[in-house]
Amino acid sequence: MQGLKTTLLGIFLGIIAASSLAASDLAGQAAPDFVLKSSTGENLRLSEYRGDVVMINFWATWCGPCRQEMPLLNDLFNRYQRVGFSLLGVNIDDDSRRAMQMVEDLGVDFPVLFDETKAVSKLYQVEAMPVTIIVDREGIVRYVHHGYKPGYEQHYLTEIRTLLRE
Amino acid sequence: MTGFFRNATIITVCLFATSAAIAQDAAPLDADRVIASSQLAASGERDSRQEFRSLDEDVQALKKEVLDLNRDLFLLEEELLFPANSQVAFFISMDVGEYFALDSVNLKIDGKEVTNYLYTQREVDALIRGGVHRLHMVNLKVGDHELVAVFTGKGPNMRDYRRGATLMLNKGIGAKYVELEITDRVRKQQPEFEIREWE
Repeated sequence: MQGLKTTLLGIFLGIIAASSLAASDLAGQAAPDFVLKSSTGENLRLSEYRGDVVMINFWATWCGPCRQEMPLLNDLFNRYQRVGFSLLGVNIDDDSRRAMQMVEDLGVDFPVLFDETKAVSKLYQVEAMPVTIIVDREGIVRYVHHGYKPGYEQHYLTEIRTLLRE
Repeated sequence: MTGFFRNATIITVCLFATSAAIAQDAAPLDADRVIASSQLAASGERDSRQEFRSLDEDVQALKKEVLDLNRDLFLLEEELLFPANSQVAFFISMDVGEYFALDSVNLKIDGKEVTNYLYTQREVDALIRGGVHRLHMVNLKVGDHELVAVFTGKGPNMRDYRRGATLMLNKGIGAKYVELEITDRVRKQQPEFEIREWE
């Protein structure tokens, strides 16, 4: 029984390590371009944000930490959007209506995009929820964060400020 | 006593003269050293500036080579992936666009979806200003092919609008260029969708 537990734990840790390694591979590379429909009905393309520091936040309605993180991201967006910071929330739910409802409930101001086909999440090797990616003004992925724990917003703040100063 | 004073005076004068001569000799030596060192510094600065300039030129040359190489590779890739004989390119253009706000174009060839392109506001603006967008490029065999394009967007009075256009494309030998054109039909106050081949 003890052996089985150890094996399962090993496999679990292995999966986590592999997933974090996969998405971390993106750091230092050009952010893959994508275009998605947004909550306002507009189509938004990542490459059109070149020149801005862009945060891409992958989230889902069934993800508790995402719900916790979203108001904090909204604060960051409202604080820094005037100085060249953009935030794109990419929802990966199968049904975008639920996501729209949550966006309304939480009073989210930043654009939310719908990746119903999961094409963009595959492109960014998203294997955990939430995943937050920060792209610099040149379109290079600079930081990748998996999951959310209270206090992560301080890391986001520091990283955004660093990239805005570059 | 007088002799002693005379001798002392002579010795003092001699000493003064010697020290003055030594000082005179020393002064040009110092000046030479200062000039030499400043010349050295100037030449060093000139050298480093030249070195920096040549380094900058090298970097520029390298950048140019990389750009050239990138272009060559891109062209080579296109030639290999889309040989001129079997190549078919699809372009989209828009005239005026008063009755239609383009959102997306779905393109099917012989019943198979080949692209579904979402247009951003900037891209639509560029199309309205006369730009032409290469929607898709594909290799097709010689023969007849059915082409279906479905345009989605907002029509008159900002109503959701979805229209299709079909073309039977006869692919011969040589490349083919197909234009998907969106125009305004003023008389009917409706958009018009047309597919035509470039001669």
